[in-house]
Amino acid sequence: MTFLNARFAGAVLLGGITATAVTSGSVATHDPASQFSDYVLAPPMRIHVIDPSGDWHAPFVYPLRLEDRLERRYSEDRTRQLRVQWFHKGRLASVDDAEWFPLGTDALGRDVFARLVRGARLSLGVAATAAAVALVIGALVGGVAGAFGGLIDDLLMRVSDLVIALPGIYVAVTLRAALPLVLTPTEIFWTIAAVFAVIGWPIAAKGVRAIVAAERQKEYAEAARAAGGGRTRLLLRHLLPATQGFLLVQATLLLPAFILAEATLSFIGLGFPDSTPSWGVMLQEAGAGRVLVEAPWLLAPGVAISASILSINLLLRTPKLPA
Amino acid sequence: MHRSLAIFLAKRFLQAVLLVVFVSSAALLLVRLAPGDHLSSFDTDPAVVAAERHRLGLDRPFAVQYVEWLGRAVRLDFGESLKYRRPVTFLVTERAGNTILLGTSALVLATLIGLPLGVITGSRRAGAFATIARALSVLVLSVPPLVTSFALLLLALTTGWLPVGGIGHTSESGNWLTIVVARARYLVLPTLALALPIAASLERLQSRAMQDALEEPCIRAVLGRGLSAERVIWRHALRMSLAPVVGVFGAVVGSVLSGSFAVEIIMSWPGLGALMYEALVDRDLFLAAGCAAAGSVFLATGVLAGDVALAVIDPRVGDTA
Amino acid sequence: MRSEPAAYNRYLPDGGSAAIEFVTLLTQTRLARINRANDQLEPGLAESWTQSSDGLTYSIKLRRNVQFSDGAPFTSDDVVFSFRAAYDSRLKSSLASALQVGGQPLAVSASDPETVVIRFPSRFAPGLKILDNLPILPKHKLEPALNAGTFAQEWTPSKPLTDVAGLGPFVLAEHIAGQRLVFTRNPYYFRRDANGTQLPYLDKLTLLIIPDQSAEALRLQAGEIDLMTNGEIRPQDYSAFRSLSDSGTLRMIPAGTGLDPDFLWFNLTAPRKATSTAPWLFRREFRQAISYAVDRQAIVNGVYLGAAVPIHGPVSPGNATWYSASAPVYPYDAAKARQLLAGLGLADRDGDGVLDDERRNPVRFSLLTQAGHIRGRTALVVQEQLRQIGIRVDVVTLDPRGIVERWAKGDYDSIYFGVQASSTDPALNLDFWLSSGDSHFWNPGQASPETDWEKQIDQLMHQQAAASDLAQRQRAFAEVQRIMGEELPAIYFVAPKVTLATTNRVVNATPAQQLPQLLWSAESLAVSGPAR
Repeated sequence: MTFLNARFAGAVLLGGITATAVTSGSVATHDPASQFSDYVLAPPMRIHVIDPSGDWHAPFVYPLRLEDRLERRYSEDRTRQLRVQWFHKGRLASVDDAEWFPLGTDALGRDVFARLVRGARLSLGVAATAAAVALVIGALVGGVAGAFGGLIDDLLMRVSDLVIALPGIYVAVTLRAALPLVLTPTEIFWTIAAVFAVIGWPIAAKGVRAIVAAERQKEYAEAARAAGGGRTRLLLRHLLPATQGFLLVQATLLLPAFILAEATLSFIGLGFPDSTPSWGVMLQEAGAGRVLVEAPWLLAPGVAISASILSINLLLRTPKLPA
Repeated sequence: MHRSLAIFLAKRFLQAVLLVVFVSSAALLLVRLAPGDHLSSFDTDPAVVAAERHRLGLDRPFAVQYVEWLGRAVRLDFGESLKYRRPVTFLVTERAGNTILLGTSALVLATLIGLPLGVITGSRRAGAFATIARALSVLVLSVPPLVTSFALLLLALTTGWLPVGGIGHTSESGNWLTIVVARARYLVLPTLALALPIAASLERLQSRAMQDALEEPCIRAVLGRGLSAERVIWRHALRMSLAPVVGVFGAVVGSVLSGSFAVEIIMSWPGLGALMYEALVDRDLFLAAGCAAAGSVFLATGVLAGDVALAVIDPRVGDTA
Repeated sequence: MRSEPAAYNRYLPDGGSAAIEFVTLLTQTRLARINRANDQLEPGLAESWTQSSDGLTYSIKLRRNVQFSDGAPFTSDDVVFSFRAAYDSRLKSSLASALQVGGQPLAVSASDPETVVIRFPSRFAPGLKILDNLPILPKHKLEPALNAGTFAQEWTPSKPLTDVAGLGPFVLAEHIAGQRLVFTRNPYYFRRDANGTQLPYLDKLTLLIIPDQSAEALRLQAGEIDLMTNGEIRPQDYSAFRSLSDSGTLRMIPAGTGLDPDFLWFNLTAPRKATSTAPWLFRREFRQAISYAVDRQAIVNGVYLGAAVPIHGPVSPGNATWYSASAPVYPYDAAKARQLLAGLGLADRDGDGVLDDERRNPVRFSLLTQAGHIRGRTALVVQEQLRQIGIRVDVVTLDPRGIVERWAKGDYDSIYFGVQASSTDPALNLDFWLSSGDSHFWNPGQASPETDWEKQIDQLMHQQAAASDLAQRQRAFAEVQRIMGEELPAIYFVAPKVTLATTNRVVNATPAQQLPQLLWSAESLAVSGPAR
C-alpha cells in the first residue's frame, strides 16, 4: 500500500463524508427528529436486487411489519416489493407507501441513517469550527512570539507548554462542566467549539513560532525590515503565510482529536443535548444495557467516527497518537 | 554527564510538581466559579443550607479558602467530599488504583504488541504480512477507545465469555492470588479496548523510526561489512529506533489517560475518570480538585519516566538540558 | 439502589432521599406500619391500641422486652424522644410536616415505660396510619446530640457505624462509598414468624449502588444481584427477562398498574411569574393545549412498548379506592391544541415553524428530567409532539439531585419527574395536595392559597382527611381530581404496568406497588440456594 494510494483513498472518503454532511437534508431518508412509535428498534432494511424467485430487479426494499411490540419483533413482508426512487421528492433515495430505514431505528423509533447523516453536520461542524478557531489563535500567538521574541516569546511558549502538558479530555470535561449545564443547542455548539479551541491552540502556536522565528532570520525578511516596514506588517504579510503548509498539517491532527472529544463529551452528557443527533449522543443509546446485542446497528455512529478519523489519517504521511 | 543528567531530571521533577499544583488549583477555581453549588435538597430550609455552608467553610472568600486548601494539600489532606462525606484522599486513591491498573496493563499490552510489530514492518518493506499489518494498523489506530469499548462490549455480550462491567466483588475469603485472578477476568476487556488503538499507533511510530534507523549511515556500514541482517536489526537499529518512540512516551501516557476516561465509563470500570466526572457535575469542590491533582500526577510521572528512559537510551539527552 | 445515602437518619432535613429511606427501612422500625400489600395497619413496636370515644386520643400499648441492636432496652421514652426530634424547630426535620394534622403536631406523652398516649389536634381519618412515617430512634444514642444541636452530624458515613442503633431487622455493617452497603441481621429483632422463628431469615443483605438503570438490569439478568430496590423492570428489558424467566433463572411478578405515575409540572411560583417575559407559560389554557397535543398512545407504544395505560390525572386507575373515573380526559387532538394556543394570542408570525407571542418572542421553554431513565425517553416524545404544533421544548437531563436543586431554587421552567407516595390514601400525602405543602411541586409552601382553585382543593382535602365516612371522603377527593384535571398544574401522560423481577432463589417475597416493592418486608425475605 503505497502512500499515494492511501492519500487518494483518504481524500475520497473524506470528500464523501463532507458532502453527505453538507447535503444532509437531501441524503437523509426521514426527518431526523420524527419518531415512529410502531417501529421501535427496527432492524436495517436492506436493498435487494434479487427477488424470492431468483429474478433480477431494480433495487427494492421489503416493507417491515410489526410482529410483537413488547418483544420488538419484526418481519419482512416479502409479498410486497417497493422500488427505491432516486432524486424523488427532494431526497436522494426514498421509497413510496412505506417507511424505509436503511440503518434501522433507535429506541424511540427514529431513523438511524437520517440521524447519522444529520449528526455528521453537527459533529464534523463543531470539530471543523474548533480547529479553525484553534489554528487562528495558534497562528496569531505563535506569530507574535516568533516575530517579537524576547520576554513575550518566553511567556507565550511557557503557557503553551503548560496547556500541552495537560490530559486533553480531562481538561475538556472540566472546562465544560464549569460552564452552565443548561444551554440551548446553538449555545452548546459554540461553547464546545470554544473549549476545544482553548485546548488546541498551543500545539499550533509552538509550530508557528518555530517557523516564524526561522523565517525572520532569512534574507527577504531582513530586506523587508530594511525597507522600512513595521514588525506587524512583516508578520502578517510575509511570515505567517509561510506557515500555511504547517497549519494544514496541524488541521489534520486537530480534527480527529476534536471529533473524538465531541463524541466523548456528548456521550457522557456534557455535550449536545439528547434531542440533537450528534454522533456522541447517538452512542449514549448504544451504551444502555443489552440494547447493543439486540440492535447492533446502533453502533453506526461509532463506525462513522472511525471512518472520519481514518480518512483524515490516510491523508497524513505519519499518523500521530490518538489524543 | 551524571551530574548534568541529575540536574536535568531535578528540573523536570520540579516542573512536574508545579504542574500538579497548577492543575489542581485550576480545577478548584473552576468548580468554585461554576454556577450552582453542591448544597441544597428537597425540603430544606434556606437557613439550614446556609448553616451547613458555614460549617463547611464554603461561605468565606475564595482566597481564604484557597490558602487553607493549599496548606492542607501539602500534607496530602485534600478535604472531605461533599457528596460522599469521606476524605477525598481516601476516595481518590481507591479509584486511582483502578485507573493505574487499567492504564499500566494497557500500556504494557500495547507495547508488547506494537513495538515488535513495528520492528517487523519497518525492516521489511515488502511482503504480505507486513502490508497487511500496516493496513490493519492504520485502520485500528483510527478507531478511538470510545468505539473499541463498544465493539468489545458487543462481542462480550453476544459470546458471554467474559464478564461485562464493573470490577467484580472482592470476596472475603481467598488470598490475594484468587482476588487477582478474579480481577483479571474483569480487566481483560477494558485493557483490550484501551490498548488496541495505542498499539497500532506505537506500531506505526516504531515502524517509521525503524525505517529511519536502517537508513542511517552507520547501520548501512555495518550491513555492508557482512553481518547478518537479523543481528543488525535487532541489536543496533532497534536501539537507535527506540529513542524517538521513547521520546513521545509522555504523550503516550497522556493518551492512555484520556482514553481510559471513555473506557472506564462504558465498561463501568470504577476509576479516576468516572469519579472526576461525577465530582464535576455535582460541583463537589474538593473531590474535583483531588481528582485533577491525581490525574496530573499520573501524567507528570509518565512524562518523567519517559525522560528517564530517554536519558538511559540516548546519552546525549542530559547535555542539552 | 440508585443513589448514595449521605446519612443514615431519616430525621435530617434532607433525609427524604430514596437512599436514606431504604437504609432506614432496613435498620429502623415503626410503632405500626402499613402493610403495603393490603393497605392495612399492622402492629409493629406497638402491640395494640385503643381509641377514645371522641376519636382523637389513642392509647398505645408497646411490646415488652424489646431491645435495640446494641442491647439497650426499648421504652416509651424512645417514642417520646422520636416525636420530639421530628418536631424540633432547630433541626427542621423533613418528617415534621408528615406528622402534622391540620398544621398542628400530635401531642405525645408516656405514662409508663410500656404505654404511649397520642392525641390528635383534630379528626384524622387515616388515624394511626400516620405512624408509618415515624421510625423510632434510640434516645440513649441521640438525645445528647439533639440537645447540643449536633444531631445532623450523627449517623453519617464519617462517624463509626456502631453508633447507629435501631430496632429494625438489620444492622448496617459496612458502607463503601460509591459501591455498596452491607447489612447483617439484628440479633435483637423482635419479630417472629408464625412458627416462632426469629426474623429476619436472611443473615446478610447487600445493597449495591448502581446509578444507571441499564447497568442494574444487566446485573440482575446476570444473576449478580437478586433483586432491584426499585424492583420494576423496564419495558425494553422485558424480552430479555422473559427468556430468562422461561429458562428458570429469574422470576417475574406482575404487580398491576403503577400507582405513582410521572408527571410534568410548570414553575407556577409567584417570583417566577413576576419576572417572566412569557405570561402564557402560566395560563391554564397553555397546559390544557399541551395535554391535548400529546398523543399518549405514542408514549405507550414507543416508550413503554405497550406495557402502560394512558392517564389524564394524578390518581392512577391502579388505585382502586380513590380513582375517579369522572375526572376530565384529554384525548389526542392537535387541532384543539392549536385552537387553545391561538386563543392565547400565539401564532407563527415569522414562518419558522415555531409559534410566537404578541411580542414576537418564540414559544419556547425548558424541561428538566432525569438522565439515564425512562422518563428521559418520555420527555423526548413529548418534545417531538409539541414541536409538531409549534412549541419548542429544550429537554435537559440531570441527575435527580441536580433536578431537586434547581426545583428548590425555583430555577426551572418545567420538570418531568415522579415521586413515590407512601400510601394510597391521599390524606397521608397532604404535603402534595395542600397549597402550603412542601411537596406541592408547582408552587410549594404557600402562606395562603394564591389561586381560587388551590383554595378549593385545600378545603376539600381537609374534609377528606377529617371525615370518617369513606363514601364522603371519596366524593371530596373526586372533586379534587376534577379541579386538578381542569387546572392541570401537573400533566399526567401514562401509568406503567409494573412487573417485578427477582432471581429464582428469592422466596417469600410479598410484592407491593410502592417503593421498595420487595424490600418493604425485608424481614420475611429468604433465599434458597447459594449466590451466583
